[in-house]
Amino acid sequence: MRLLIVGFGFIGRELVKALRDKMSFLRSIDRDFKVVGIVDSKGYLYNGKGIDIDDLNKITRLSEHRDYKLGGTALDLLGQNLCDIMVEATPTNIKDGEPGLTHIRLALSRGIHVITPNKGPLVLAFRELMNLAERNECALLYEGAVAGAIPVFSLVRECLQGDKIVRLSGILNGTTNYILSRMFFEEISFEIALKEAQEKGIAERDPSYDIDGIDAACKLVILANALMGREARLNDVRIVGIRGITQEAISLAKRANYAIKLIGTIDRGLEVAPKLVPINHPICVHGTLNAIHIETDLAREITLVGYGAGKETISAILNDLITVLRKRGMSKFSSPKIV
Amino acid sequence: MKFDMTLALADKPGQLLRALEPIAKNGGNIISIIHERDKPVEGYVPVSLVVDFPSRQNFRNAINELKNLGIAVIKSEEVVEKVRLTFILIGITDLKKIIESRIEGVEIIGLEILTPSLNKVSIKLDVETHAEAVNILVDHLRRLAEDQNALLIAPIYA
Ligand SMILES: NC(=O)c1ccc[n+]([C@@H]2O[C@H](COP(=O)([O-])OP(=O)(O)OC[C@H]3O[C@@H](n4cnc5c(N)ncnc54)[C@H](OP(=O)(O)O)[C@@H]3O)[C@@H](O)[C@H]2O)c1
Repeated sequence: MRLLIVGFGFIGRELVKALRDKMSFLRSIDRDFKVVGIVDSKGYLYNGKGIDIDDLNKITRLSEHRDYKLGGTALDLLGQNLCDIMVEATPTNIKDGEPGLTHIRLALSRGIHVITPNKGPLVLAFRELMNLAERNECALLYEGAVAGAIPVFSLVRECLQGDKIVRLSGILNGTTNYILSRMFFEEISFEIALKEAQEKGIAERDPSYDIDGIDAACKLVILANALMGREARLNDVRIVGIRGITQEAISLAKRANYAIKLIGTIDRGLEVAPKLVPINHPICVHGTLNAIHIETDLAREITLVGYGAGKETISAILNDLITVLRKRGMSKFSSPKIV
Repeated sequence: MKFDMTLALADKPGQLLRALEPIAKNGGNIISIIHERDKPVEGYVPVSLVVDFPSRQNFRNAINELKNLGIAVIKSEEVVEKVRLTFILIGITDLKKIIESRIEGVEIIGLEILTPSLNKVSIKLDVETHAEAVNILVDHLRRLAEDQNALLIAPIYA
């Protein structure tokens, strides 16, 4: 199968590294697997015979490559029959989902499998995109979009096929969990913990998307729609961030054996808010870790813990890619059904 | 739901079985039973039961049928399950409003206040509440917090 990578930022580059390291394994699944194109915001690289993956790993910007075509776009490549799978890794945009939404719509409508860690299109148009994928008999996989390396969608799709999920709660943002953990263990103020996170590159210079709970809310919407058959939108989430949390509140909680965590919950409604979590609850993980606690009718309780962002996310993207490669030639893809 | 009941049975054979009939018929599941045969009071033996009925209606039906059989029901009340919950409020300006909240079935059992370096007061509130009043309590505290521009931190599963 022929892979097109759209976006050559952090994720795009880390993916290319992993593809280099695992190429012989991937070829053992699909002998014809190759990367035919890579796109950034200003142009692309395309080679129908396959781009030399070692060459790619020598550059940090796509434009450094001798075959770089300035001015070309992903739409040019998707518009022709040049690839079978697209990894869409452009920046998340929750206002209109672009440019990812247009890329994904076009790919799916042409029967190209899509793998994406990009939350924007999924938050805004989950049902539309899943229907489009189903109509065109191709896959839309997005394991990397929620809680990074934690394989929550694969787990539910493969291992909880007969369970009905009745409630889900989770720590879905590593930045806020890092800040709250530092406040808990080091007894420092919110402001200092935030500054420290920014210095370490864990928080953005403008941290509001994380600390005001918006990132966690986006992930909650995707989880609700994908795993529980809801028709949720971002507006449906009651969101409270962690800005107002004082050191005193954390120490009051700690003395009573609780930690304060930013928790996303899907119950009757959707909510992201700081909550008191008993320190011995399986969801009570620290640092940049994420955790997802699923409650189902049969299995009752399952907790997943792992890294929610960073290069660990490649694990999820690669697994999605291998899922598509293995299903080649099998009967059509269909979106998972909700029990 | 569970009910605590005390019946007065005539001190003669077969009375207990007769009394249990309406309970079983109405789906009651007996959790405990104390039959004090050696302590008859004026010819009556008190029997204390805790019974789990599928609904309040089933419970009421059982009580009516017991009365129709001429069995005296001395006590009958719902056993309310209580839960203890901890909340934290940050930035409350009017503490009195919290302490004076009167919600049926809710009792404040602990209050800890940290007045900090900054000007925001952090409060830990421990309450004991009927399981059924939890939602009302959370809504009430949320509204109080909103009115005072404060932040409520509720327990994860309240
Ligand atoms: N980083 C993580 O740890 C992580 C974890 C989970 C999910 N994600 C998601 O993965 C996606 C990518 O993240 P990232 O960290 O790799 O972002 P990034 O470093 O900002 O990279 C974004 C890439 O997209 C390219 N791009 C922008 N507009 C484009 C367009 N119209 N057509 C083609 N390419 C375009 C950019 O091109 P230029 O190079 O020309 O600017 C850049 O190469 C985001 O949606 C993010 O939310 C990231």
